[in-house]
Amino acid sequence: MAQDGPILDIRAAQPSFDESGMAPVPVDLRLMPGDCAVIECRDFARATLFADLCSGMIALASGSVRFMGLDWMELGDRQLYALRGRIGRITRRGSWLDLFGTHQNIILQQLHHTTRPTGDVVADAMKLGMVFGFPGLPVTGPGRLSVSDLARAACVRAFLGRPDLLVLEDISDMLPPDASVAFLEAITAARDRGAAVMWFVRHAATWADYRPAVNVHLRLLDEGLFPVRGG
Amino acid sequence: MTAAPVPSDAPGDSPPDSRPGWLMSILERVRPVLARVGRLTRHQVRFVLALVGAAWGVVRESVRPNSWRRTVREEFRQCLRQVVGGGLLSTMVTATLAGLMVVSQAVYWLGFAGMAQMTGSILVSVLVREISPVLVGIILLGRSGMLVLTEIGILTLGGQIRALQAQGMDPFLLLVLPRTFAFMVGGFTLGILFATISLLMGFIITHSAGVITTSVWTFFANVLMAMSSWDFLVIPLKFILVGFFVGLGACMTGLLVDADDTIATLMPRGFARGIMTVLVVNILFSMGG
Repeated sequence: MAQDGPILDIRAAQPSFDESGMAPVPVDLRLMPGDCAVIECRDFARATLFADLCSGMIALASGSVRFMGLDWMELGDRQLYALRGRIGRITRRGSWLDLFGTHQNIILQQLHHTTRPTGDVVADAMKLGMVFGFPGLPVTGPGRLSVSDLARAACVRAFLGRPDLLVLEDISDMLPPDASVAFLEAITAARDRGAAVMWFVRHAATWADYRPAVNVHLRLLDEGLFPVRGG
Repeated sequence: MTAAPVPSDAPGDSPPDSRPGWLMSILERVRPVLARVGRLTRHQVRFVLALVGAAWGVVRESVRPNSWRRTVREEFRQCLRQVVGGGLLSTMVTATLAGLMVVSQAVYWLGFAGMAQMTGSILVSVLVREISPVLVGIILLGRSGMLVLTEIGILTLGGQIRALQAQGMDPFLLLVLPRTFAFMVGGFTLGILFATISLLMGFIITHSAGVITTSVWTFFANVLMAMSSWDFLVIPLKFILVGFFVGLGACMTGLLVDADDTIATLMPRGFARGIMTVLVVNILFSMGG
């Protein structure tokens, strides 16, 4: 879907402290199609909360968070869930359902939100799986996979289905080196087709190889979100 | 242009209260007690209200074609397989035992008392209408309800439910709707199976003992003749509603866990709620009948 305006537009969004525990400070951020914002954040939990804020999962005391021109707070449940289907997300929070195999976990979002034939979704997932170092798609339960394989699977799930926004929490400590290049290539490919990328990192070394291609550099602290000059 | 009235908390600005002072002081004294009673009542009935709301939600969502997308249909299929397949053997064994006890005893003693013509109506009202839904409800709860409760409870406690929401998947649509419907269909299937097997086993035992000399067709015809039109409606409805509420109760108990809950606290609570649900549905219909 072509998007002329900003993909993500956060305007003076002040999270509700009672509901989220986030510091009630206003946050501003605008991501246009093709943008890549690297957000340095030492605290995994804070990064996850901010990612939740961008996904419309945290109530606001004031301000607005708009995704593809739509204000999360003005949407009904069905529209809200449908819109989240356009976000590819890597999270450090336990996100694997032991009820299903890993392959089902990977393709679940696409099967739920699209009417694409299952075979096509599986084929795309297998292609991405091979890019990230799997021989295909892992069919065992997520509980039986190693941490590095789960990180690969998380990448496949996030990049599957041409998402409009990628919210990528830092899994550099889990992702094996052979998948790191694939990760950066997948980010570039997503940006080339018009997706915006929000990439949380803990250390500068994590994104050093990608630094020339990054056009927004921010730091997320308890006090708010701050641009990093000359980073 | 007139100025809009400015709201103020100052006592002097509020409109004068026409109620006498003694009434106000009584109200002031009673209000905290009423608030406490209200809080307690609300806490106690919270689950019941959530169950009623969720039941309405399931019915409303189920009629939207968009709700039955392939992930939901697949979840329904898997859960139905688990509910019917997992409860089949238990249902057959329990129905056999119930048939041996209830049918054989009823036929024997009614024949002894010279009231053999009432056999059909007694079996329908006792076994098929009252005992079957309760036992099927308990089988559903034990074989599948507790499993669903544990699965969803673990997902909620582990944060996977929130992760599902982050991917744009409504847990109510993906887990509660299909599982509740699977329990509903499973409840009906196992209930009819239970009633049939228990009557059949009772017939076999009494026939082989020589208490009944009629054919199996005559026996079942007598049972059917003893059923009123209300029975034809209420018996399937009981099976359906018992399944519906056992499934829904298990799902909602799993979803509505507190932060300090563990599986050890969740399972007894879910079991107690399930038993209560089964009994309440049966009692309501018995009173209505």
